[in-house]
Amino acid sequence: MLTSIGIWIAALLTLAIYSFLYKDNPVYKIAENIFVGVSAGYWAVVLWFNYAWPNLFEPLIMRGNIVYLIPVAIGLMMFAPLIPRISWLIRIPLTFTMGVAMALVILQRIQGEIFPQLQATFLPLRGVGPVELISNLLIIFGVISTLVYFYFSRAHKGVLGLFAKLGIWFMMVAFGASFGYTVMARISLLIGRIYFLLHNWLHLI
Amino acid sequence: MKLFERLQTLDRRVIFILVALAVIIPMIVPLGLPVDVTKPAKDIFDRIEKLPEGAVVVVSCDYDPGSEAELTPATVAFVEHCFRRNLRVYMMGLWPAGPELGNLALQESAARHGKEYGIDYINVGYRPGGPVMLVSLGRNVGDVIRADYTGVPIDSLPLGRAVKSARDIDFVMTLSAGDPGVQHWIIYFNARYGTPIGTATTGIMAPQQYPYLSSGQLVGLLGGMKGAAEYEMLVDMQARAVAGMDSQSIVHLLLVAFIIMGNIILLYQRRAK
Repeated sequence: MLTSIGIWIAALLTLAIYSFLYKDNPVYKIAENIFVGVSAGYWAVVLWFNYAWPNLFEPLIMRGNIVYLIPVAIGLMMFAPLIPRISWLIRIPLTFTMGVAMALVILQRIQGEIFPQLQATFLPLRGVGPVELISNLLIIFGVISTLVYFYFSRAHKGVLGLFAKLGIWFMMVAFGASFGYTVMARISLLIGRIYFLLHNWLHLI
Repeated sequence: MKLFERLQTLDRRVIFILVALAVIIPMIVPLGLPVDVTKPAKDIFDRIEKLPEGAVVVVSCDYDPGSEAELTPATVAFVEHCFRRNLRVYMMGLWPAGPELGNLALQESAARHGKEYGIDYINVGYRPGGPVMLVSLGRNVGDVIRADYTGVPIDSLPLGRAVKSARDIDFVMTLSAGDPGVQHWIIYFNARYGTPIGTATTGIMAPQQYPYLSSGQLVGLLGGMKGAAEYEMLVDMQARAVAGMDSQSIVHLLLVAFIIMGNIILLYQRRAK
């Protein structure tokens, strides 16, 4: 029974949202406002039960661990700009956050992204079949020419200009592939909704 | 040409109706168009086939209802494959709603195969913290996971006790709709602990994953609903994704026709000037 009610609500809200395709209307507005309200409530609950309570209030209040007052103080400093006299205090939490993020991101990005990606462009041009040779050449020239395009310290003339133009072509192909996938993704979402309406709601398929 | 002039002022709602019909009709009257299996999808399938019985597979549902249409079919097919191979499934998620959505597939497939919660599969729910959490998870699971999604202490469940660090995880499958997601798993988990990773992503994200495929940082890729349909073909359970492929193909043909038509009209306009 509850499932059926849920399906009906979901189906009617889906139709209400799609009604915008005809033109803006009150039914669409109602569905939009419900979505905004539910999302805000949902995220408030998620943030409280997954971040604030287990990471701060539970150890501080239930276990009496006063060390957690330090992050409370640092967190409160984020509101310092509201009082101009102590607005400089915001530098402390910002510096702390930036320091931690940089330490974590720089090291892991180099180890987990830059080095492996660089290594993946060191491809053999001898002792491979013709298809693999073409594929390897495309990757090598694609990487070099795209990097050349983003080299702005010299005018893109002569050989440099030629490579930069090649880089544009490689990027255009990449953008085309991305656009194709984007179209596919959006249609997939539409298919998902229509499948829901025809299968779960109307039982037509 | 009168036709071109009329097309220039065509009401966009006509296009919406045509797209809707192109989706609905093939669903009601299936065409059975073939679904080819690509190498990145086959690579994930093969890796799962090679895992020994009882191996632990982390299924990270890093998506929300907005991407449900693309990623739930992949979750269903992948979990089904794991249970058929008698692998142990450790479900979690970097997005709040992901593990709840994945749990539906998990429970359904587990019931079909007579799997027992806590022994053959587990769901530890949403794990906040992104990169920091993943680094901690690989080092010591107990630092970031103390209970399953219903609040049962993880140590009271046999599978919970068996997975203590990245060394106890044989494969990670991330169903990823954005950030945090597959990139975090690659950079903060695979690079640090070496655990092989496969992914199913939304169509929009799929092209960005190819560099990771060619560098070997990803075992395989299921791109969007098409990737899910490929996996459904591989595990021989033609369900929601395969059912949607006819519509997908027809709409793509329609859109190609629109693009060609638009360009012809543009050329006509230029000549007319």
